[in-house]
Amino acid sequence: MKKWIAALLTLASINTFALTVDEIVTKANEAAYYAGNDGQADVKMTITDAGGGERVREFRILRLNTGEGTQKFYVYFTAPADVARQVFMVWKEVAQGKDDSRWLFLPALNLVKPIAPGDKRTSFVGSDFVYEDVSGRALWEDTHELIEETDTQYLIKNTPNDPGAVDFSEYTVLIDKQTFLPVKAEYLDKNGKLFRRVEAVKIETVQGHPTVIESRVDDLARGGHTVNSFSNIQYDTGLTDMIFTERFLRRPPREATR
Amino acid sequence: MKLKLTNFSLRFPWIIILLVLIAAVFGAIQFPKVQFDNDPENMLSPNEPVRVFHNQNKANYALYDMVIVGIVNTNHPDGVFNVETLGRIDVLTRQLLSLRQTDAGLPEITVPSPFVPDLQPESARKRILAKIFHNDINRLFDENGDSAIVKAELISPSVVDNIKQAEHGALKIEYLMEQPPATREEALAIRDDAMNNPLYKGTLVAEDEKAIALYIPIIEKTYSYNVANLVEKLTADWPAEDQLYITGQPVAQDTFGVEMLVQMSSSAPLAGLVIFLLLLLFFRRISLIIAPMLVATLSVVCTMGLLIGLGFKVHIMSSMIAIFLMPIAVADSVHILSEFFDTYHRFGDKKETVRHVVGHLFTPMLYTSLTTIAGFASLIFTPIPPVRIFGAHVAFGVGLAWVLTMTLVPAYILLFVPKKMLDRMPAKEAHHKRSGLDGFLEKLGMFSYKRWKLILILSVLTLIVSSVGIQKIRVNDNPVKWFTKHHRIRIADDVLNRHFGGTYTAYLTLTPETAGGCTCIEALEQMSAAANARFAGKLPEQTAQFTALLDRQREKYRNVATCNPDECFVTLINAAQKMDDEISGPWSTLADEINYLEDADLASFQALENKMGEGSAFFQTLENKMAGSSASFQGLEKLSGEDLREAALAITDEYTALSFVDFLYEQRAEITAPPMKQPPMLRWIAQLQNHLEEFPKVGKTSSAVDALKKASYELQYIDPSVAPGNFRAEIKTKNDANYSVPDTSAACAQVFIQLEGMKKKDSLFHLVTRDYREANIWVQLTSGDNTDMASVAEETGKWIAENPPPVPMNIQWAGLTYLNVIWQDRMVTGMLSSLGSSFVVVLIMMMVLFRSPLYGLLAMIPLTVTITFIYGLIGWAGKDYDMPVAVLSSLTLGLSVDFAIHFLERARELQKKLGSWAEAIKEMFKEPAMAISRNAITISLGFLPLLFAPLAPYRTVGFFLATIMIVSWLATLFILAALITGLKKYLFKKRTTNSH
Repeated sequence: MKKWIAALLTLASINTFALTVDEIVTKANEAAYYAGNDGQADVKMTITDAGGGERVREFRILRLNTGEGTQKFYVYFTAPADVARQVFMVWKEVAQGKDDSRWLFLPALNLVKPIAPGDKRTSFVGSDFVYEDVSGRALWEDTHELIEETDTQYLIKNTPNDPGAVDFSEYTVLIDKQTFLPVKAEYLDKNGKLFRRVEAVKIETVQGHPTVIESRVDDLARGGHTVNSFSNIQYDTGLTDMIFTERFLRRPPREATR
Repeated sequence: MKLKLTNFSLRFPWIIILLVLIAAVFGAIQFPKVQFDNDPENMLSPNEPVRVFHNQNKANYALYDMVIVGIVNTNHPDGVFNVETLGRIDVLTRQLLSLRQTDAGLPEITVPSPFVPDLQPESARKRILAKIFHNDINRLFDENGDSAIVKAELISPSVVDNIKQAEHGALKIEYLMEQPPATREEALAIRDDAMNNPLYKGTLVAEDEKAIALYIPIIEKTYSYNVANLVEKLTADWPAEDQLYITGQPVAQDTFGVEMLVQMSSSAPLAGLVIFLLLLLFFRRISLIIAPMLVATLSVVCTMGLLIGLGFKVHIMSSMIAIFLMPIAVADSVHILSEFFDTYHRFGDKKETVRHVVGHLFTPMLYTSLTTIAGFASLIFTPIPPVRIFGAHVAFGVGLAWVLTMTLVPAYILLFVPKKMLDRMPAKEAHHKRSGLDGFLEKLGMFSYKRWKLILILSVLTLIVSSVGIQKIRVNDNPVKWFTKHHRIRIADDVLNRHFGGTYTAYLTLTPETAGGCTCIEALEQMSAAANARFAGKLPEQTAQFTALLDRQREKYRNVATCNPDECFVTLINAAQKMDDEISGPWSTLADEINYLEDADLASFQALENKMGEGSAFFQTLENKMAGSSASFQGLEKLSGEDLREAALAITDEYTALSFVDFLYEQRAEITAPPMKQPPMLRWIAQLQNHLEEFPKVGKTSSAVDALKKASYELQYIDPSVAPGNFRAEIKTKNDANYSVPDTSAACAQVFIQLEGMKKKDSLFHLVTRDYREANIWVQLTSGDNTDMASVAEETGKWIAENPPPVPMNIQWAGLTYLNVIWQDRMVTGMLSSLGSSFVVVLIMMMVLFRSPLYGLLAMIPLTVTITFIYGLIGWAGKDYDMPVAVLSSLTLGLSVDFAIHFLERARELQKKLGSWAEAIKEMFKEPAMAISRNAITISLGFLPLLFAPLAPYRTVGFFLATIMIVSWLATLFILAALITGLKKYLFKKRTTNSH
């Protein structure tokens, strides 16, 4: 009987206050990847392998929202010394059937090379993050399901619509009700085993936007993890479309270097 | 004293029987606990430095033991690169990757749809074996239920990276076989991609295009048999033209374990049967010969029970315990029986006869047992754990056999041999007539006596010829060759090594000798040279200023032992910044402005002038700085749009390149680069690989440099077909030149970082450490012969000594193939020293036994001749000195001295009794020679069943032990008789005087 009441109450609460699952994931996606019109941050990435060895990469990331969910990213490396001035640039597409455009600039070879569309779940510069963690995963690629709701969080289960294209069978995301930032994502492998976890470790509000200032991903299958620490976070600095072009790969924009 | 044990047994035979029964039961109940260890790696103790390093290397570079599955198609014109075969390989790969455990604990494959494969072997024999081995064929998971296959590291076309060119000059990073091909063209494209990757050609794909190999990494070797079985089951429905070969050292080892058990369960009982039949032939009374059979069986049961009970695993060596013990254990009881048989008529009473026989044989039997024990026990001092365990247990077994002979045999005779039967037995002479051996032995005795000089000369000749043969001995082993030629493991090994770069793996590792990079002084010197090269032409004045600054810094650090290069930089950067403010700084600002210009501002040169302002600072700088420059300002006026921007930037580039700050940052990257990012070091590795690949047995080497070159080529590739015709050749040349180590550390680092972010994560780190300080070169050999591996290691060492690496490196080898070389080395030296020590021990025993140094030496002669002859034979026959051969040496010693003991003991006795050697020798070649001969024949024939064993080492042991017995038997009878004849003056004179 008690269960009944509880069930009824839950139903009632969903009907009256709750957002639909699509609304939740859309809001979360916006909070996580689209804050402001543009944004930039310095990132210190610490990759720790299973044996405890550490590698550090530092880069500045510039992001510009370009409408209808599309975005442009400019990643400018500053450390280690030997990869300084290396650039990775993405024009992100979200519409079905459209691929991202990606470029690479290797200063030591004075080489600009476009990267053909490919698997976005490959490692980002050798870290445990994948490209998709950096630029986001299009919502239509998964079927979302609200499987739990507490006072503070939503738990969403996401099942890929094209299981063959990804390395997981499903993942769950915990979304903070207040900020709508995803705070924890857990990926299950094809055999239903947890193999990967992405967490928002520290969140602060910057220019009114709740912002993840430290994120961590754990590779539970191999061991090892990567931590990204964000600093000098700025929103709405007035980045222009112009700097997200091939021309600015060889000659980095002031926004990236100063 | 001598008879104490025996008297006790004669008085309380039932107590003896009871005790023996208890011991037997105790031994037998240990048997179900048996565990097998078929890992040759365990030939080395776990603390052995090379093994520790090997494991450390595996951990460092995430290397695993591999089950290698070769798919060969020689029928199809495209070899394995046809749509069907590739499709099957893709399915197999996905099936292996999908392996998971069901809730019921069974393995489940989810591709194409979930099913639980029936892994039970079809043959009843294999099922039984699996039972005995406690091998759960479904055991494919660790305790957490994770697959035993290390999925992330599986090597198959479907899951290895491929960098290739895509449309519009883009670079594509995907798996080699992202999708199984649908058309012939797609299949051939996969072939071409694979062949163009130096990391795959010769490893993943055969250069002859007929074969593909999957490398299935497993978390532990013990899973290899089950994984191989799984692969066989999953491919059971493949057509005949896709032949499947499974190998890899773990599989070979596991299979070896199975064969070992077959050997144990067949050869040992067979040996027992042979011995039984021989004894029956000699003594013709089953009730009599049950006693030695009991002694043999009980010794084996108790010894093996002890071994298992103590928690030792049965290794290849210990699996031979039964077959060694069986013939040795019966030897003493054969002597007792033989004598009992011959003397019963004299006493007509069992007890009396036993007392007489034991009293008579006690000393020689004690000593023969002690020498045998010494021979085996000397193995305890070898550095090879399984050999130690083997030696200790056989020694124990021999001791036990002696005790049983002294107790159980008398008790048995008393209780179970009917007196009537003994009384009915024909008298000694009558019995003797029956054996054809007597006549032969007597003739032999006369020959030894009369022709003693000839015999000695022949013996010396044998020794000389054998010594020459020993020089020819080739120390070599190869665990795969432990299988007989037609074994499927050997066939798979042959086939795969023909198609691929080799299934035998060794790793050559490079570790920098010193922790740090170069010192500040070196760094500053390097920078000075680089600054001159870069700036002196254009900015002589500033260059001089800059290098002077570097010199001052150098002076400053001259007397400092250590310094952090970063420290030098801080000072330098500030100075460089000031210089840049004057020279390149304005140009940088200018370039930046041009870069940020809107398209509208570049519509024409005019528009540009309008935007920047004619005569503005922009054009002022341009004009000022252009004075004396080669760049032409005029050319710009005709341009517009992006062309104009590019042209303007080209001018600024010439000057912005003169930044001292940029220079310093670049230099810092170069100077602080770890060894494996330094171009000279990487090129040296490439040279080393070239040298390695010159060895005929080295099929292939792989290093991070191969990956680097390939990535450098693909990153910088320009499609010649998009260029105008006359440029194509030039572009092609340029492309080819890019298949190399880039010129700067930064360039290497930037290419490497692309490789770090490939689809198959971290695969680069099998070949280089994450800090790029150490490297691992994967060396594949087509032969697992230790001599081949050893010569590769030795020659490589020499080459490195002559061509030292630019950064001093410690060079170390790892990998199973190399481990084999090491344990073999240990084996050879260990065996030699144990042979030496047991020789000395036995010699001392002999001197004590005979209370005469001369007799002691004499006793050692037949076995010395025997050992020399046997090893000479091995040398002349070209048989490799391998593990089983090595073990034989100490056994020979302990076994073959027995004959000499019996012979000398009896000879001395008879001489004393008869007073003349001429008379004594006649007697010697009657009953005493008969006993020795029976023993020799029993033991050597007892070892013969080993010849039918499925594994080569057992055959070798069987053959050589039989030969050793025969040779030492003949050596004893001929040489000892001849020597005594020659030395009788010295041997008997003193004795005779003493006895008077």
